[in-house]
Amino acid sequence: MNLYEHTIIARQDTSPSEIKQLTEKYSKIVEKNDGEVVKTENWGLLNLSYLIKKNKKGSYIHFKIKGKGSVIDELEKNESIDKKLLRFLTVRVKKFDLETNYFAKKDESEIKESVKN
Amino acid sequence: MPKRQSGNRKSKQSNFAKLSIFQNNKYKFKKNCPLSIKGAPKIDYKNIKLLKRYVTENGKILPSRVTNVSQKKQRELSLSIKRARNLALL
Repeated sequence: MNLYEHTIIARQDTSPSEIKQLTEKYSKIVEKNDGEVVKTENWGLLNLSYLIKKNKKGSYIHFKIKGKGSVIDELEKNESIDKKLLRFLTVRVKKFDLETNYFAKKDESEIKESVKN
Repeated sequence: MPKRQSGNRKSKQSNFAKLSIFQNNKYKFKKNCPLSIKGAPKIDYKNIKLLKRYVTENGKILPSRVTNVSQKKQRELSLSIKRARNLALL
């Protein structure tokens, strides 16, 4: 079993309900292949630093997945067909960093920092 | 006491070396790697704030001789910068 971080970028015109559908769709695929979704993060609509298929913005969804390599194969196979998505990236990690969320809302991150200090 | 003496001499030497043109590498102004110290932030493709410090305005990766990042950390940095680029974060 390996640990993976998986991020997908959806088009800018996807509605929040569609994003929910997407997350459910892909977490189902993971579970079908004996994988486990440890955590999902919705980073929200972020500005892209360059245009991708004429999109200026994209909504980011981040998964933390525990499973075999075949899970990732299946995921990426489905994602490359999906027209709602712009990009995906999978990174294998040795350890999950579940505490820090770099894309949390600003107020939350400030509160966290103040607590640390 | 001899310890103190040697210390004094050393500082004088290094001051002299800094002025000299034929200076040894040892005595140059040397900074430590900013990412190897204790409590340094972890290099991650999601940490854009950190990565942005190590690229130019045009988005090029800065060489380690400019930023004084160690070899090992520079390798990690360049990998995570490339990942961030793929996700259009940088």
